[in-house]
Amino acid sequence: MSQPILMKGNEAIAEAAIRAGCRFFAGYPITPQNEIPEYMSRRLPEVGGAFVQAESEVAAINMLYGAAGAGARCMTSSSSPGISLKQEGISYMAGSELPGLIVNIVRGGPGLGTIQPAQSDYFQATKGGGHGDYRLVVYGPDTLQEAVDMVFEAFRVSDAYRNPVMILGDGVLGQMMEPVRFPPEDADVHKVEKPWATTGAGDGDTRLICSIHLEAEELNAHNMHLHEKYQAIKENETLYEEVEMEDAQLCLVAYGTTSRICRAVIEQCRSEGMKVGMIRPITLWPFPDKPISEAAKKVDAFLAVEMSLGQMVEDVRLAVNGRVPVGFFGRTGGLIPTPDEIVAALKRLVEEEGVTS
Amino acid sequence: MSKFEYRLAGSGGQGLILAGIILAEAAGVHEGAYVVQTQSYGPESRGGASRAEVIVSDQTIDYPKVTRPDVVLCLTAEACRRYAGDVASGGLVVVDEEVGKALPSLEESVKVIRLPFLRTAREELGREIVANIVALGAIVGLTDRVSPEAVEKALLGRVPKGTTELNQRAFAHGLQMARGGDCCESAPVT
Repeated sequence: MSQPILMKGNEAIAEAAIRAGCRFFAGYPITPQNEIPEYMSRRLPEVGGAFVQAESEVAAINMLYGAAGAGARCMTSSSSPGISLKQEGISYMAGSELPGLIVNIVRGGPGLGTIQPAQSDYFQATKGGGHGDYRLVVYGPDTLQEAVDMVFEAFRVSDAYRNPVMILGDGVLGQMMEPVRFPPEDADVHKVEKPWATTGAGDGDTRLICSIHLEAEELNAHNMHLHEKYQAIKENETLYEEVEMEDAQLCLVAYGTTSRICRAVIEQCRSEGMKVGMIRPITLWPFPDKPISEAAKKVDAFLAVEMSLGQMVEDVRLAVNGRVPVGFFGRTGGLIPTPDEIVAALKRLVEEEGVTS
Repeated sequence: MSKFEYRLAGSGGQGLILAGIILAEAAGVHEGAYVVQTQSYGPESRGGASRAEVIVSDQTIDYPKVTRPDVVLCLTAEACRRYAGDVASGGLVVVDEEVGKALPSLEESVKVIRLPFLRTAREELGREIVANIVALGAIVGLTDRVSPEAVEKALLGRVPKGTTELNQRAFAHGLQMARGGDCCESAPVT
């Protein structure tokens, strides 16, 4: 690992991508993620890569389709409204089984919303913002160091399963600065074999990358193949962290910026004698439903905390499956929940549901 | 003292974000503390207001925003009005002498120090643009949380080439102000 460097989240993500072997970036400006393309425009030419400021988000994601099809490790980034524009291309990449990293530094919505931080793109990221039966692998880091590490992980998974992946950050993570250490450059990136890539046939076989399957049987078989792949990702690539869950009676569920705030909540609650823990999804899809389902056998209640009006909480409720109460607390519009507000929400839950803490 | 919060406020172009980055780098990279630096963006920075915040801690920093700053620096009247009031009980407000009249009433436990950052930068150093570094020096000297040596090391790596010597002098002037104390007052401002 390198010496620590003080960097903005957006810059750290961009530098991590370069060290992970990303050599193609296409994007279109939007706050609060502009430091990613800015950084890429400076750094990519230094390492022999290509940076394109596209004419639109739609163009950028389709350039990614092309670069991925040619076998390049590639990336685009945007923020909420821009990610909405990319959805058609993301669905096409999933249908064509093309790897690539999409970074969403989420801002408040719907519509143009605000440039302040939010977590209200969870549905779009994890439930398929585009059309068709497809999944994105979605990472929700909560520190800049984890964001750096997840860039490497995301590219690995993307190549291994030939599927687009997303890092879902927010305006806080994109704009704040923390010291980060970079792992050594990904030496394996050049060893990833892509026998499907359209690198020029020469005398070899014709290769075709597309997502069209007009025969019903053929598309069904393709969808079943994708489905099996998604099952394997669920089995092998789910990431989460348990915080003080050994004796917890109340379980917080939160990701990204909100989960770091929940760590302060745990500390505060425990100093008052409330046994609070947290399950923190690191991959948002696949969602860590097994550990949450297991925890539902032991804890008295869950509280999902998000910078939205309640999106991930639906996955928590699916995993808990009615066994114990699942409460929700959220702020929107760029407001960041404070530890005191979350503690108060926990106490309300305890009172309303008549559970012990 | 596990967690210490700084807020540096003024107007865009005064270099307060750079000052915040230098402070964060000194503590986080050169002294190995946990640090988070954030800054205003979007609607908050419209009309030219600028705010940098730094949290320094010996533990991981969960809540990334400053809520009750231990130190607030204000280089404009607007910064005094908008940002000084959140200072923690027993905290410190450092304000440029030319804008201090705009301070709101503060708790009695809050210490207010008025120093001539803008005038010193303009008249003694010949460049008002280094008022940020003069102020950084003063804050570092007044708070004793991050060492002047670490800040100077970070400063050398962060200021534009060709301005190193000027910025070092500005930083030294600020430190000297903190030590001299001849312009200080400790009474609450009403």
